[in-house]
Amino acid sequence: MKLPSLVSAWNRLFPHLKPRMPGKAVRVVALLLLLGLSGYIYYLDTTIREAFEGRKFALPARVYGRALEVYAGAKLTREQLLEELKGLGYHENPEPQEPATYKLTLTGLDFTSRAFVFTDGPQPSQHLRIEFNEGTVSLLQEHGTPDVDVPLLRLEPPLIGGIYPGHNEDRDLVRLDQVPKTLIDALITTEDRKFYTHWGIDPRGIARAVFKTVSGQRIEGGSTLTQQLVKNFFLTSERTLSRKANEVLMSLLLELHYSKDEILETYLNEIFLGQDASRAIHGFGLASHFYFDRPLDRLELQEVATLVGMVKGPAVYDPRKKPELTLERRNLVLKEMAALNVITQSQFLAARNKPLGVVQRAPTGTSPYPAFLQFVHRQLQRDYREEDLRSEGLRIFTTLDPLVQRQAEAAVQMRLGAIEKARKISPNTLEGAVVVSSTQTGEIQALVGGREARFAGFNRAVDTQRPIGSLVKPIIYLSALEDPVHYTLITPLDDSPLLWRQPGTSDWKPQNYDRKFHDQVQLRTALAHSYNVSTARLGINLGIERVLDKLPRFGIEHQPAPFASSLLGAFGLAPVEVAQLYQTFADGGFRTPLRAIRSIVTADGKTLQRYPLNVEPVAAAGPVYLLTAALQGVVREGTGQPLLNWLPPEIKAAGKTGTTDDLRDSWFAGYTGDRVAVVWVGRDDNKPTGLTGASGAMTVWGEMMKNIQPEPLEPVMPEDVELVNIDPASGVRYDDSCKGGVPLPFIKGSAPTEITPCAVLAEVPKSSTVEVIPAAVKTEAKPGVKAEVVPAAKAEAKSGSKAEPEKKNWLQRLFN
Amino acid sequence: MSANRAVLALLDHAELDSKAGKRDAAGASLERALRIEPRNPWLWLQLAQVRLAQGQYAQAITLARKANSFAARNYRLQADSWQVIAQSRVALGDTAGAEQAYKLAADLALQARAEQH
Repeated sequence: MKLPSLVSAWNRLFPHLKPRMPGKAVRVVALLLLLGLSGYIYYLDTTIREAFEGRKFALPARVYGRALEVYAGAKLTREQLLEELKGLGYHENPEPQEPATYKLTLTGLDFTSRAFVFTDGPQPSQHLRIEFNEGTVSLLQEHGTPDVDVPLLRLEPPLIGGIYPGHNEDRDLVRLDQVPKTLIDALITTEDRKFYTHWGIDPRGIARAVFKTVSGQRIEGGSTLTQQLVKNFFLTSERTLSRKANEVLMSLLLELHYSKDEILETYLNEIFLGQDASRAIHGFGLASHFYFDRPLDRLELQEVATLVGMVKGPAVYDPRKKPELTLERRNLVLKEMAALNVITQSQFLAARNKPLGVVQRAPTGTSPYPAFLQFVHRQLQRDYREEDLRSEGLRIFTTLDPLVQRQAEAAVQMRLGAIEKARKISPNTLEGAVVVSSTQTGEIQALVGGREARFAGFNRAVDTQRPIGSLVKPIIYLSALEDPVHYTLITPLDDSPLLWRQPGTSDWKPQNYDRKFHDQVQLRTALAHSYNVSTARLGINLGIERVLDKLPRFGIEHQPAPFASSLLGAFGLAPVEVAQLYQTFADGGFRTPLRAIRSIVTADGKTLQRYPLNVEPVAAAGPVYLLTAALQGVVREGTGQPLLNWLPPEIKAAGKTGTTDDLRDSWFAGYTGDRVAVVWVGRDDNKPTGLTGASGAMTVWGEMMKNIQPEPLEPVMPEDVELVNIDPASGVRYDDSCKGGVPLPFIKGSAPTEITPCAVLAEVPKSSTVEVIPAAVKTEAKPGVKAEVVPAAKAEAKSGSKAEPEKKNWLQRLFN
Repeated sequence: MSANRAVLALLDHAELDSKAGKRDAAGASLERALRIEPRNPWLWLQLAQVRLAQGQYAQAITLARKANSFAARNYRLQADSWQVIAQSRVALGDTAGAEQAYKLAADLALQARAEQH
């Protein structure tokens, strides 16, 4: 916006006015001048107030992660709590009585929480003592006389981003009370020492400016913070006296209407501090993210001084392009601060010796979790108008768990790098995506949209629909198990060659991954080893459409073509959709729509909307229990066996590998007692990766889960299910006391009724039942590296007969 | 109902809110408790009762079923769950279904009492 100059406005208003009669004319001119001037001032006043108010009230929606619940018995380490507190901007302090300070103690922490207004009311600041023992919280007390146990502490939720106004404008608005004092001190020292006493202008500065202009020098300097703010509202390169006059008038007007604090707060959020391609960096909050990748309240003294130094000219003092000049300027700011005793001499010396510390690559936004934020934003857009999201100051409480998210991101980065290195794939060609949710509540705890999770971009967790391959198989097996008269876990399936003709498609001859056929295999074995031929035949026998029509009930809106190839997953789904599918398996047949938002609260604290837990039964508990047992078999003895490099067998994780044609997509979807997670690995250009589900995605899954420390998967056995002692190889039923059998779940009445004497198998040598661990597990020492040596391809390629003796012992070990 | 004091604190909170008619808030507290103990059938049952009081009958029925899915051989709890289901069915106009549920609830309550003696 450009303001008209005083002279041109005058000329426009009174073009006919020419002095003819001096005496009267002077009076008329004086009157008109006065009128005109007051009109003009009124105009300036309206303009500047509009600009000021506009900035003040465009409050973006603020998005929070989950609030960490801390209680005695909670699974939480001191390191995790520290990570959480640091993320919330807590500082170490030997006397941690101030909110947001902490001190390490021998086995725990001494800290003071911040007050926070939650959806269900305010929670005061508390001075607390916490102790840990073996990975759990052993004590939580509030300081007092005497100290009292606190049953439950809800930490304030971490701010994970905002939804901002404007197109190429991004803000991270800060409130004055959130701004570090050092920043304000540095700013006032450097830019405007009389800020708190002047009326908006500095007469001496103006005099100097006028003098320099009159004497033909450059117009410069002398601006107060208020003037700089006005200048920032109407950025223009024009440097004329009339512009200066406007600036002075508007500054005086601003000071008339607003307090120093209001002006300072707006200044802090408005001042121009750099350019990122098409995006202008306005305000210290955003600049802090842009240059240091941290929120403002976590900057150190020298970093604060760097930003303040840049105010003079962000293009000249650009810490990325002109580091030396910026460093010089920074140290000048520090020196001035020391000279005014705003900082001590030792603070000055320490800060001066530190490097600039600017992150080389600027993050693309203010959220450390752009993929999750984008997902939340999309969900919000269904229920709210975009302008309300960007301006009404709504507070959005979400389900993101930064501790889980960090493990998911780290696992993707670490594993993809290791795979590329081990397989001599050119670096940074593999991509990945992860979705983690809580089994029973359906809350999304982590969402990784790509390898560089910190940078907004293509969100592969939500926006890629890649063929899911064998991940679809459980739905076929569930359909079979829902018919206990015809199908149990041990029903023999036909894995001999299959040719399928269907009008509208070419002939279809599914192959197994090992290019062999396995004649008759037990249903659970066919799933464990992901045999394509027997699975396809099973699906065809059940009815292709009958199987595929189940998908919408499991929350998959995307309906695949009714072709037999769809039975083997020749259709695309996004990782987040796959997570929804497996959620229902994990939750005993109850479908809980995945949620990223818990509630939305208005700026003045009223709850606008809750997104409560919603549960719908979509599959009977019995068959789902059987399916879970079969999916546990995948990990125990099937294609998922290398997962045991990461997770101990006691976790009894259930899961399924997925590998698509020519090894383009590598998938793993699985669940533990408390979490469902889906991982996809592939390339953006859709070229083959050389990875199976087990050698790619599953290693990411394992690495991540190992660090999250999941709960074991022990579903409650439904009433219509019974355990029956079965010979794993032949499928015949033994007497319950027979040691040769393993207990397998059956829908009551569907188990074989004929009981075979167990004489033969009772002879199985004791030693083999004690500890027969597959080769993969023995390489446990260095999972990251060794996993490459034991790719799942081998496990997948194992022929049925070869695997049999080993498998038997496995089952025995597990069920005994 | 739980050995976890955090969960008990949240249950107290939910009960107070429920009595004060603040059922949304009660539900939110129960959801917090469920995040801590997702497999505790009592919490699911309480949430079912809150939804019943809110007139969300379909949700009440599902949540009661879910409570039962975690309550193997806990007849007392199962009886309460079937009560919730029965009352929800009455409200939904499913008289036959309600009758069935009431009968199941009564049988289970008997079983629970028999077990106590």
